Amino acid sequence: MDLLSSLKISASGLAANRKRMGAISSNIANAQTTRTAEGGPYRKKEVVFGAEPVRESFGDILEGELDAQAKEVHATEVISTNKAPILKYEPHHPDANEQGYVAYPNINVMEEMANMISASRSYEANINAMNTTKSMALKALEIGR
Amino acid sequence: MRIDDATIKALSASIKMREMRQEVITSNIANADTPGYKTKRLGFEEALARALDVDGEQSLNTSDDGHYDVGSGGFANLQPEIYEDPNGVVSADGNTVDRDHEMSQMAKNKILYDASVQLLNKKLGLMKYAINSDR
Repeated sequence: MDLLSSLKISASGLAANRKRMGAISSNIANAQTTRTAEGGPYRKKEVVFGAEPVRESFGDILEGELDAQAKEVHATEVISTNKAPILKYEPHHPDANEQGYVAYPNINVMEEMANMISASRSYEANINAMNTTKSMALKALEIGR
Repeated sequence: MRIDDATIKALSASIKMREMRQEVITSNIANADTPGYKTKRLGFEEALARALDVDGEQSLNTSDDGHYDVGSGGFANLQPEIYEDPNGVVSADGNTVDRDHEMSQMAKNKILYDASVQLLNKKLGLMKYAINSDR
């Protein structure tokens, strides 16, 4: 538990939000994708955040309480399956089924944009925290000068 | 002037605790979007005041080998208190982090950290002056 693990926590926040941004841009880019390698329309990607204790080595685990309290954030990418695709009647489309319906991914672009702004704000907040930690660490180097 | 007087002990304890607080605040900011995460707080002011014996009551101090140390008495075992913020407003996903509040807490913590470092430097400067005053 020191300023370096504070930096590690901020870095985990940056990585998590970057992953979230990746999923969001993939969702926006593929909002109209009707064919994928797995077959069927593109399915919306979501990123789930979870808190994990900062643990670097066995010694850290043995050590103190604070490292169990101060948590890193870890992002896991999951593919959401609970949203059924939107069917549109386009009989001339190459991906249309026998009834003439095309399955489009169920992606709300507005929702993705709102998520994107939220991710970008979180990223900035983590950058700020990192800069503050950095300047504290540099200040500590001035002790005794 | 003693080299390990209360000022230096208090300042180094304050610097150490503020580093820990920075870690807790960083963790809150990193987890501002984590469902179910609760804001953590680190309190050390009371423990430091007890260690410094601000009220002069010698409470929880051990002055004899036969005394049981229950913690928070003296600088040797100064322990901060980490707890979940009881005033947090729970949002829809169970998270209680208020980003703006965390940022302001972080700014405050940084300023007081810098102040402690500066005071420590002044104190050390005074010692240096005393050492070199004869030359």
